[in-house]
Amino acid sequence: MITIEETIDIAVPVRTVYDQWTQFKSFPRFMTMVKRVDQVKPNITTWVVGKGPVCREFEAEIVEQQPDSHVSWRSLGCTPSHEGQVTFRPTADGGGTTVEVRLDLRPRGAAGALAAVPWLTRRVVRAELKRFTEYIEGMGQAGGSWRETIRGGHVHARQAEPPRSRVAGWPVG
Amino acid sequence: MKKPDDEPQDQLSVTPPRTWAVGVPAVVHALEYSLRQTSPLKAGVDLLTMNQVDGIDCPGCAWADPSPGHRHRNEYCENGAKHINDEATTRRITADFFREHSVSELSRRSDMWLNQQGRLTRPMVKRPDSDHYEPISWNDAFGLLATELNALDSPDEAVFYTSGRASNEAAFVLQLFARAFGTNNLPDCSNMCHESSGFALHETLGTGKGTVSLHDIHHADLIFLVGQNPGTNHPRQLSALEQAKRNGARIIAVNPLPEAGLLRFKNPQKPRGVIGRGVQIADRFLHIRVGGDLALFQALNLLLLQAEDARPGQVLDHEFIRANTSGFEEFAAHARNLSWDDVLAATGLTRTEIEQVRDDVLRSRRIVVCWAMGITQHKNGVATIREIVNFLLLRGNVGRAGTGACPVRGHSNVQGDRTMGIWERMPDSFLDALQREFGFDPPRAHGLDSVNAIRAMREGRVKVFLGLAGNFVRAAPDTSVTEAAVRTCRLTAHISTKLNRSHLVCGQTALILPTLGRTERDVQACGEQFVTVENSMSEVHTSRGRLKPASPLLLSEVAILCRLARRTLGGKADIPWERFEADYGTIRERIGRIVPGLHDFNRRVVRPGGIQLPNPVNEGVFRTAVGKALFTCNTPEAPHVPDGHLLLQTLRSHDQWNTIPYTPDDRYRGIHGSRRVVLVNPDDLKDLGLTEGQHVDLVGVWTDGTERRADDFTVVPYPTSRGCAAAYYPETQVLVPLDSVADISNQPTSKAVVVRLEPTAARATAGQGVPASA
Repeated sequence: MITIEETIDIAVPVRTVYDQWTQFKSFPRFMTMVKRVDQVKPNITTWVVGKGPVCREFEAEIVEQQPDSHVSWRSLGCTPSHEGQVTFRPTADGGGTTVEVRLDLRPRGAAGALAAVPWLTRRVVRAELKRFTEYIEGMGQAGGSWRETIRGGHVHARQAEPPRSRVAGWPVG
Repeated sequence: MKKPDDEPQDQLSVTPPRTWAVGVPAVVHALEYSLRQTSPLKAGVDLLTMNQVDGIDCPGCAWADPSPGHRHRNEYCENGAKHINDEATTRRITADFFREHSVSELSRRSDMWLNQQGRLTRPMVKRPDSDHYEPISWNDAFGLLATELNALDSPDEAVFYTSGRASNEAAFVLQLFARAFGTNNLPDCSNMCHESSGFALHETLGTGKGTVSLHDIHHADLIFLVGQNPGTNHPRQLSALEQAKRNGARIIAVNPLPEAGLLRFKNPQKPRGVIGRGVQIADRFLHIRVGGDLALFQALNLLLLQAEDARPGQVLDHEFIRANTSGFEEFAAHARNLSWDDVLAATGLTRTEIEQVRDDVLRSRRIVVCWAMGITQHKNGVATIREIVNFLLLRGNVGRAGTGACPVRGHSNVQGDRTMGIWERMPDSFLDALQREFGFDPPRAHGLDSVNAIRAMREGRVKVFLGLAGNFVRAAPDTSVTEAAVRTCRLTAHISTKLNRSHLVCGQTALILPTLGRTERDVQACGEQFVTVENSMSEVHTSRGRLKPASPLLLSEVAILCRLARRTLGGKADIPWERFEADYGTIRERIGRIVPGLHDFNRRVVRPGGIQLPNPVNEGVFRTAVGKALFTCNTPEAPHVPDGHLLLQTLRSHDQWNTIPYTPDDRYRGIHGSRRVVLVNPDDLKDLGLTEGQHVDLVGVWTDGTERRADDFTVVPYPTSRGCAAAYYPETQVLVPLDSVADISNQPTSKAVVVRLEPTAARATAGQGVPASA
């Protein structure tokens, strides 16, 4: 297993940074290696990542998510290829955010072979984090937010009727 | 134009049941049937646009399509291909056909023969004093129907039935018309298939729909297939199961019959499915007795509680139970009173078998339970599904990735029709929204479901029956009772694509209102239209036909309903029926304002893949009476089967779509050339003193003392579970008493009929006469 850890300071408050991070579908807008993200459910996302012919698709389960604190996930499949965690905490001066990413990789396949080169993966993660930083610092505000909590893979709703749960409620035969 | 097949002669031959499903033979059979029905060009257009983005949604079943970009070029199954080309047939029924064939004569024909005659091409009417259908103009047909409706003493003397083939737009317009007319009498085929699922899930999880997506199936560690036969009824589910197996899932199949599709799948789109052995589906097969599923899940739940006792904190998901559920203590106390003797008698399984399943469960973090009518069509159908929910809740197997409840639905839009308000007991919130949007007062009294509609017809309380698609007379239970009830109506009218029994067993006056099929282009005043449907996994997407309509006189379902509504209601309500007909987008605009979750419907539904309706359970929301998921206490109630009797389940053959057989063959079960067979365990045959090939009558036993008899069935020894038998639907619907229904859901118990097998010759010798039979 290969572990990659990267940290970056962002000159935007934690809430803004966290909220932008929850907008997974927007990642291809500013990251170069993330080609497409779909959110199947609050706790399942599908990702297409890579460059040129070396592209890989995987599904990930969000296992833990605490607003303004952390998101941790693992990829799905018979032999999960990676787990990850991103944490958000205020910088020492209180005005910005320190974002720390940790990836535990179990490389598989052609794309995995590249990921097995730690310095290369670290460079990619660092570059993508930098792009995220430039994006959110440039915007100054998040493009959306999702502020529910996930514990043990289960979503815990803060309110009885979050907007997305307002669907037809009558029995379906 | 190809000549319809002749009436098939019964020539039964039996071969050993198959131990695998699909493979190359499925492709060959699908193509053979398709090319017998239609031209290669039409078949090609249908098949290559089927289940594709912007193509035709296969009406065959409600299984979800893979995401756009992940679909095969051929994204359909054998049965879907047969079904779509059965609709795209080049055979036509004209006015001459009805001149040549009287209703009496057609009534003696088989369901298969009727279907094979081809597409209906113009409106027809059967007058009270005539034995023939004759042509009628659309204008006169609407006039006749409107006059009859308006002549009723009460709007509640009319019934508006919907089959799950109807699109969202047609369903919405139908319920709007019925309610503006003044009744909630909106029975549907759901009343007869997954009503028990809706009630049980709504009560315990706060949603009537399944909670899983295809992704959950793909990433489950353990999948239960309970009371369902994917090889025949939802073959595309096998691809999802194959994917799950590749990801390491184990599968437990629970069924009274070892169906081929439960055992092994040869995927014809992959080399290993064409020349290899395919994929084993079930790692464990539980040969359960009919109706034993509630006892099985209760036993599993008890074993999980005991495992928790032995390893505190390691078996149950205490955090989930504490935070999200209610009623655990009462449930646990109730579960601990379980009698193993009762469990073993009800299930026909050994304790070791059930304990092995428990071990599978303990090894699995992510569990999905799939079920179909083998669970719902029982007296304890609702209780069984509630117990399945208990099972899922114990280890937090809802709402997480790779977990959940998966009721597998049959008709392609049966779920969507309900979302659109086709239900006889819609909540006030929906009726209030209708009132706000359209400015009329919808009736508040609950209407009639399918069983109660038949009772009401029988008692003369319903005089007009309108069927939107479907074949109500054959789909309904207690055939003789249903037929007699329908015949009491003053008028029956069916919006149909093909001829079926419901056109022949009809009211004093009967109308056939021929409509466009899914495969056909739907051009209205504002141009070409598409419709929308919702699959079993709550994905709402478009369906657009490509073929030229079977006749220029065909109207779409939406057009028929809008014109009928205009004619019947006049200016009674401020509803723009004409605009609705011209542009279905205007219907969707209204739906978006009334049905929660479908806001901005027109814009969102045309995206590739359509709209994924969220499921509150996956958002951490349980909209039950107490705001949490409910554990429930359920008590098994097995049907009393006297000595010398068997518990019969009705089932479909492989070559059949709902009530319509395509051929008399069922190749997975090794039955060829006849549908009048009863499958019985060889040991039961010995005990009953019957022999293979013997002809028997199936005689139903029910509390009302009425003899229900399906005559002249051939006995076939078959590996059904002991004490159980199986025979084909709808031929055996005659045996299902109208009053034999599931508790709470009022769903007919077509999977649990107590019967005795009487040798046919003995009856003839005893001179008992010929009873009414299906």
